Amino acid sequence: MKKSIALLLVLLMAAAAFAGCAAEQPAGPQEPAPAPEAPKPAEPEPPKTTTLTVVTSYGGDDGNRQNFQNAVSEYETLTGNKVQDGSATSNEQWKAKVMTDFETGTEPDVLFYFLGNDANPFIEANKVVSLDEIRAAYPDYAGNMKESMLVPSPADGKVYAVPSTGFWESMFVNTKVLSEAGVAVPGADYTWEQFLSDCEKIKAKGLTPVAVSLQEVPHYWFEFTVFNNGNSANHLDIPAAATDATGQKWAKGFEDLKQLYELGYLPKNTLTATDAETVQLMLDNEAAFLIDGSWKVGFFVENAADHLDDYKLSYVPGKGERKATDIIGGISMGYYITRKAWEDPEKRDAAIEFVKHLTSDEVVSRFVTTEVTALKNGAKPAGLNVIQQSAADMCGGVTTLVFPVQDLLSAEARADLFGNVKNIVTGGKTAAEAIDAGLALNK
Amino acid sequence: MNSPLYRKKWPLLIFLLPAFAFLAVFLFYPFVQNILNSFLNISGLGTAAAGFNEPWYHDYIKMHSDPNMATALKNSLIMTGATIVFQVGLALLLALLVDRIKLGAKLFRTIYFFPIVISATALGLLFNLIFLYNGGMLNQLFASLFNTAGNLDFKSEKYFLATMLTPVMWQYVGFYFVIFVTGLNNISSEVYEAAELDGAEGLKRTFYITLPLLRNVLCTCLVLGITGALKVFDLPWVMMGEGIPMDKSWLLGTYMYSQAFNRGDVDYASAIAVLIVILGVIFALVSNKLFKQKDY
Repeated sequence: MKKSIALLLVLLMAAAAFAGCAAEQPAGPQEPAPAPEAPKPAEPEPPKTTTLTVVTSYGGDDGNRQNFQNAVSEYETLTGNKVQDGSATSNEQWKAKVMTDFETGTEPDVLFYFLGNDANPFIEANKVVSLDEIRAAYPDYAGNMKESMLVPSPADGKVYAVPSTGFWESMFVNTKVLSEAGVAVPGADYTWEQFLSDCEKIKAKGLTPVAVSLQEVPHYWFEFTVFNNGNSANHLDIPAAATDATGQKWAKGFEDLKQLYELGYLPKNTLTATDAETVQLMLDNEAAFLIDGSWKVGFFVENAADHLDDYKLSYVPGKGERKATDIIGGISMGYYITRKAWEDPEKRDAAIEFVKHLTSDEVVSRFVTTEVTALKNGAKPAGLNVIQQSAADMCGGVTTLVFPVQDLLSAEARADLFGNVKNIVTGGKTAAEAIDAGLALNK
Repeated sequence: MNSPLYRKKWPLLIFLLPAFAFLAVFLFYPFVQNILNSFLNISGLGTAAAGFNEPWYHDYIKMHSDPNMATALKNSLIMTGATIVFQVGLALLLALLVDRIKLGAKLFRTIYFFPIVISATALGLLFNLIFLYNGGMLNQLFASLFNTAGNLDFKSEKYFLATMLTPVMWQYVGFYFVIFVTGLNNISSEVYEAAELDGAEGLKRTFYITLPLLRNVLCTCLVLGITGALKVFDLPWVMMGEGIPMDKSWLLGTYMYSQAFNRGDVDYASAIAVLIVILGVIFALVSNKLFKQKDY
């Protein structure tokens, strides 16, 4: 009896569970079956659409996110293909995810990624296609780019990525602070001695000469102080030890930074502040100089819109063989086509067309305000505001553009070296000790 | 209990298997892999291992000579001590006080519990604004109240420990507070009435009736606090980042994260993770032994 009741309950529950799955029946009386239709003339098959997976760093709060999305929409309209966009903000986690995707075979079809050592693992694993190989089948691929600016991979010397936009690093100045301290806006012939003298005047007014967080971002100052003790020809040399010529050049760079710290030209809390806190000093008209990159122009446009004319782009003071107009910059990212997409006959053309569209003169010009590009015809940005124009003027005066040497170090070596800057300036470690410790980790 | 459901064990297995599979995939496998990783040479997240370290236990030797590791271990022990005193202790005190009032008890319970529902990242940003050097809440307050000349750097070597510990303590007091309040509610009012007839009131009532009857709850909170203190990561990371100031504020959790995600030294980070697990097990065993629960 119990069994029959249990069986009945199970049947009822099953019926209830599947009740919602019944196909919908039209309401009203059942209609007679319609008469068979006359055969229609055959319609032409719609063009086959391909779905591309694309990963870029134009995600999160990237200033060019909208430009990228617009360019992707245009590509979709033009080709009928679809793009699955997996873009995110570029940081160490994003880099790790990209690498994991390659390791697990889930890499995208097109990747916008760094050109330096960061790309070595997937280049060495033959997971992306070289420009030579692509050009053998598509001779006009990246034809609008200057050959001299196509960056060869440090892994094997071949070019793999088509560059989009580049970057520069230079000195932002707060003209209001300078004027309050009676200091002229630095020009193209700005020297280290003039800079020290200006810093003294600014400090005497109770203001902060240099906005920098030695705790978090000493990177830009490292690059320029090392450059100041060498020249553009040897800037990219990596020392074998702190005692060799390049090592001593780096040590002198650190000593210059230590001098600024000891003279009190850096924020009082430079060893505990974040980068955001020290940059805020520029926004609050409390600091005069900031070395940063082309990406910072957008930050000032967004956060200082009502007093944008207080900011100008100038040059980092020169010393020794380096002129102030010799700056750090270059092209650091580009579009890779993965071997997975290249060997898929359905995706190959779509991927090529995607990269061609995203690196066309017209699209690149939209991404650019003042950044470096590899375009043969150059970018033609329009409607520059006061700080962007100042940046464009600064770029116009550049005599030499050198790639940052720190990008040739491994992440661990870089982190260790910059983590020790606070110890160098406070005397906890000598520059030579910090350099040797960093180099020991440079795999 | 003679039902076929209880006699046959295989249906139980069917229900247990999904949870076991979940744990196997997301806990046991990563845990075992992490132990293996600590012996391998992995130079970046997502990068394949380039063989075993030379010697294979290299990272465990490195820990002994790494000054930041010593700092992280010391700070984690300080955090554990502070948890016992300030989180569990303060929560107990607040629970006892709230238990004695009638008016506004619910309001206080909500207020004390509130920090728990805010994400640690949001709390970190909030406290960063409070302790900010230029224009921070405390510095503005000191300037207006005491007319101080310069700002105080709350993240300097002099104050960093208090700056790091205060928000962490504040955040979790509410968690233990709720456990204590629940424990206090479980103490029968008849016991208090009987004690009152015997003349036990005020502090006597607290020390001779409430605390002994709350012992098991207190033990649970202490075990949770001690083992949890080793895992603290998010709030200190948001506030103190890479060991601010001068590599003085590292905790085991923040140092492990930095090694894995900022330096790409995945094998060393894995070794630190193994150490955290070993310490966690030791702490749990010792605290369980010390604060053994009693049956009443």
